[in-house]
Parts: sequence; structure tokens; C-alpha cells
Amino acid sequence: MSEENSKTSVVENAVVKKFVIPDKMKPVIGAAGFYLIMMAIFIFFAPDVFLDVGMFTAVFLSLPLYIIMGLALVFVTVAGEIDLSFPSIVPLSGLAFSVTLTATGFNFWAAFFASLLTGVACGLLNGFLVTKLGFSSLITTLGVNFMLIGLTQVLNRGEVRQFTEFDESPIRRAIVGSWGPIPAQMFWGLGLAVILGLIFNRHRFGIHVHIAGDNPEAGRAMGINIERVKVYCFVLVGICCALTSTVGILLNSTYYSTMGEGYLLPVLAAVFVGGTPVTGGRGTIAGLVIGATTVVFINTGVIAVGLDGYYTQLGFGLVIILSLLGHRTLSGRLTR
Amino acid sequence: MSAEPLVELVKIEKTFGRVQALTDINLKLYPGEIVSLVGDNGAGKSTLTKIIAGTEKADAGGLIRLRGADQKAWNAAKARQLGIETVHQNRALSEQQSIYANVFMGREITNRFGFVKRKKEIEETESLMRRIGYTSKVWTPQSQVLKLSGGERQGVAISRAILFDSSLVMLDEPTTAMALSEQAEVIEFIKDLKKQGKSVIFISHNPWDAHAVADRFVILDRGRLVFDGPKGNMSADDFIQMLRDIAKKGSI
Repeated sequence: MSEENSKTSVVENAVVKKFVIPDKMKPVIGAAGFYLIMMAIFIFFAPDVFLDVGMFTAVFLSLPLYIIMGLALVFVTVAGEIDLSFPSIVPLSGLAFSVTLTATGFNFWAAFFASLLTGVACGLLNGFLVTKLGFSSLITTLGVNFMLIGLTQVLNRGEVRQFTEFDESPIRRAIVGSWGPIPAQMFWGLGLAVILGLIFNRHRFGIHVHIAGDNPEAGRAMGINIERVKVYCFVLVGICCALTSTVGILLNSTYYSTMGEGYLLPVLAAVFVGGTPVTGGRGTIAGLVIGATTVVFINTGVIAVGLDGYYTQLGFGLVIILSLLGHRTLSGRLTR
Repeated sequence: MSAEPLVELVKIEKTFGRVQALTDINLKLYPGEIVSLVGDNGAGKSTLTKIIAGTEKADAGGLIRLRGADQKAWNAAKARQLGIETVHQNRALSEQQSIYANVFMGREITNRFGFVKRKKEIEETESLMRRIGYTSKVWTPQSQVLKLSGGERQGVAISRAILFDSSLVMLDEPTTAMALSEQAEVIEFIKDLKKQGKSVIFISHNPWDAHAVADRFVILDRGRLVFDGPKGNMSADDFIQMLRDIAKKGSI
């Protein structure tokens, strides 16, 4: 240890490194490899279906919804928590959107704002229960999920709300129109992935999310407000659910209170297939996008190959188990 | 020794449930002195450093004063802002993250939008690693901490404490899990801190180390401060004898 205390010494890269795959890229490469193998199998068995542009358009219609929710789930998972309440925040914030839309005479921005507000409130509720009361996030958010689904049903009373008046509006076209063969929402979903990816990897908040899930005590000792970081993660889930509901309602021009059903397991699968381990402290946004694509292709693909719908779940199960195997081979260890 | 104390603890108490960890601790730390904080296991050394570091809250009634100013709502972020750096006993490292992320943990260099200036952090970490004698070429600032050995991890924790300009550095058992040569370096490093005008609180299980670096001894026994005095010309043997007496009788 020298006595000079200047931080200005010049750094030259004298170390010659042989080429190795950076640890951060391994889950992404694993997820991508897995996706390609799966697609190869699909194409082999049904080339006419899987090489058709229409197939991709169909997938891209719903894929962004999975991506948007999955992005927030990556943050929560890496922060060392889990959120199972997102399938209920989607219909609740969607209800807020629909009711406000009708009440304001089709003012999109007011409706969107109401939806966001609802999402944020749900996230704050989860965050409060988990960080202030110290409940397990797994059980808390499971309970909140039931609660909010129930609340939505009670408030909506089985009504299906249609917004055909909105069909030709420029806002609808901008959000869920089509840009060539690609649905517009795909660009929004990927755009959000890029922004959240930057925040996840480069922003102070993203760094703190990693630390929160890795060693929260260390973070606290270094002056990071770990509880606040976790609350923000839950709020992010709420916001992403509100976005999902808005896109979903515009897509179908319809609100129905069961719109969040069927997302829970595929979105979680997308996170884990994408290479984000359940143990916290580590995760990947790029992997999530690939994982979501994998999951949605199974959904669409199993039927397109000519198997009946009963095989979808079987396919999911196989993919999840096989991808875990793949990630472990690449990254060494997924569980600690 | 200058007149104004850097840190002053007044009537600090701490209870964990029914256990009284610290009782009526009054202590003044002056700029540029090395204080060896000694005592048996469970004497309250770590608890006391944690209270000064802001990671543990003292019971109501006590007071922390920094450069003469009463500190209310003391916490870790505030302590670091005001120039108190700590090398915690458990090292406080986020193992799955890179070395540079750990060095800048809670103090990331960012642009005004909060995005981290990675290149700058990596460069500073690299020059820091050289300064404290990381000769190994295997590790780069981007390496994950979990790949480092115990001594190397301790090195990261110590680097973090010296990178930022501070007035008090607290080291809680910094030499555990270190090789002998590394231990000697840590002792040299503590003397360096003093030369830079910083105050140091040093906790060690090794009485010879504790004696060698100290200007002053503060001895805790079962949560009470039982000795606070300058080293003067007390020999290591006298010091160790005093520790033994305290362990037996609870006071001198």
C-alpha cells in the first residue's frame, strides 16, 4: 500500500484476455439458443405454418403484453421478491381505464392516467405489505391477487364494455395499429424493453435493485434505502400492468374483467426461461424478451403444428424444465 | 490533540429485546488518532461501531454529536455523507456484482439523470486496486466478488473505505481471513490513514495488533466502557495483562 493518495494514475489495459463469454451474456445466449432449437423443431414439423409471415404477425399481436409484464417481473425477481398479483392489477387498472373513458366522453389521456394511478396504488399496497409489515412477497401478492380479482368482479359485475367508437382514433392506430406486417404494440413493447433494460443495467436504481436481491444488508450498510428500492419495483409492476391493460383494451376495443386470466404462469415462465434465476441479485432483460417470445410461440405453435390445445401445457412444462437444464449447464449454478 | 472532538457519543445505550448490549457509553474521538476498541466477544464492540456507522439505531436518550453538531435521525447514508467510512465485520459486499459496483455501492458516479458512468467507475477502481497492491492480474474491476478469496474480498471492502474522502474510518476485525503478509499491510494502511489526518477506530481480536497501531485504548466489557486512556508508554505485555484482569473481574 503506497502512501501517495492520488486517484489520477493513468490506467492502461495491459492485461491480455483470452476470449470468454461474459457471465452476463450466458443466460441470454442460453435463452436464444433454446428458442432457436425450439423454432427449428416447429419449422421441421410444420414448415408452411412457421415460415409464414402471418404466423409471426399473430404472435406479435399478443407478445408485447407478455414482454411488458415480464419486464417488471424481472425487476421484482432480481430485487429478491416475487409478485403474483399482476394478473389482477391488469383487469383492475383496465376497469379504471374503461370507466374513466366512458365518463370523460372518450378522453384517452384521462383514462390512461386513471389506469396508471390504479396500477401505482396496487404496487404501493404490495410494497407496503412486504417492506413495512415484513410479509413474504410470495404469499402477500398471492393474497392481493385474489383480493383485486374479487374487487374487480364486484365493481364490474360481469359487464363487457365495448369501445367501438374508438376504433378509428389516431391514438388507437398509434398504439395497436400495424406498421407494415408488424403490429405497432410490438415496437412499444420493445421500446419499453430498451428503456427498462438501460435502467436495469446502467441506472443507479437498477444497480440498487441488483444489490437488494443479492445482499440487502450490505446495501443498507452502504446507505442504500433497500425498502424503497423494493417498493419502486412493486410500483413498476403496477405501472406495467396498467400499460398492458391499456394496450389490451385498445387491441380488442373491449374490456372484460377476466382479461388478466392466463397470464400468471406464462409470464413467470418467460422470466425464468429467459435466464433470470429465482434467487435474486441477477437477471436479464434481453433474456426476458427471448423467453417471452419462446412462451408465446409455444402457445401459438402447439396448435399450429396440428396438436390440439391439450398439448400446450405439456409443452410449457417441457420448455421450462429443459431451459433450466440449459441455463445450469451454461451458468454453472442457478440456485444458491 | 485538537480541542474539538470529531465524534462525541453521549449516553449511548442499546438493548436487543431483553439483552442490554451497551450501557451508558460516553466517548470522544479526536481527529488524527487511532483508537483500538477492544473487549471480549459480546462486549459490544461491533454494536458500537454500527451505531456510529448508522446501521444500528441507539436507544432513545443517547446522542451522537459530529464536530459539535447534534445528529438527529442518524442513518448510514448520512454517516457516509458526513465522512464516516466503515469496513464491516461481514464485509458488506454484494457478491454477485462486480468489484467496481461494490466499491461504488451507494455512491455511484452518475450523470444528472442517474445513469452510472461505468467507464469512470471501472477506471477509478482499477487505479485503486493497484494503489492498495492488488497485483493479481486475474481480477479486473468487472470480476464478480464471489470469485475472490476471503482476503481479497476484505481488500475490496477496505478499498471502498479509502476511496472516498473521509474523516473517520472504522475497521471491524479487518484482518480476519487474511494471510500474514496481508495483515501486515492492513496495519501499515491504518498508519497511513493517520498520516492523512483521519481518525481510525480499529477492532481486532489480536491484542498485539490492537496495541501496535493504537494511540489510545477503549475497552468494553459486557456493554460497559471500562477503560479509556492513551497508550503512553504502556507495553504490549502490560496491555494484555490489563485485558486479562478485566476479563476476570469486569473492571481494572
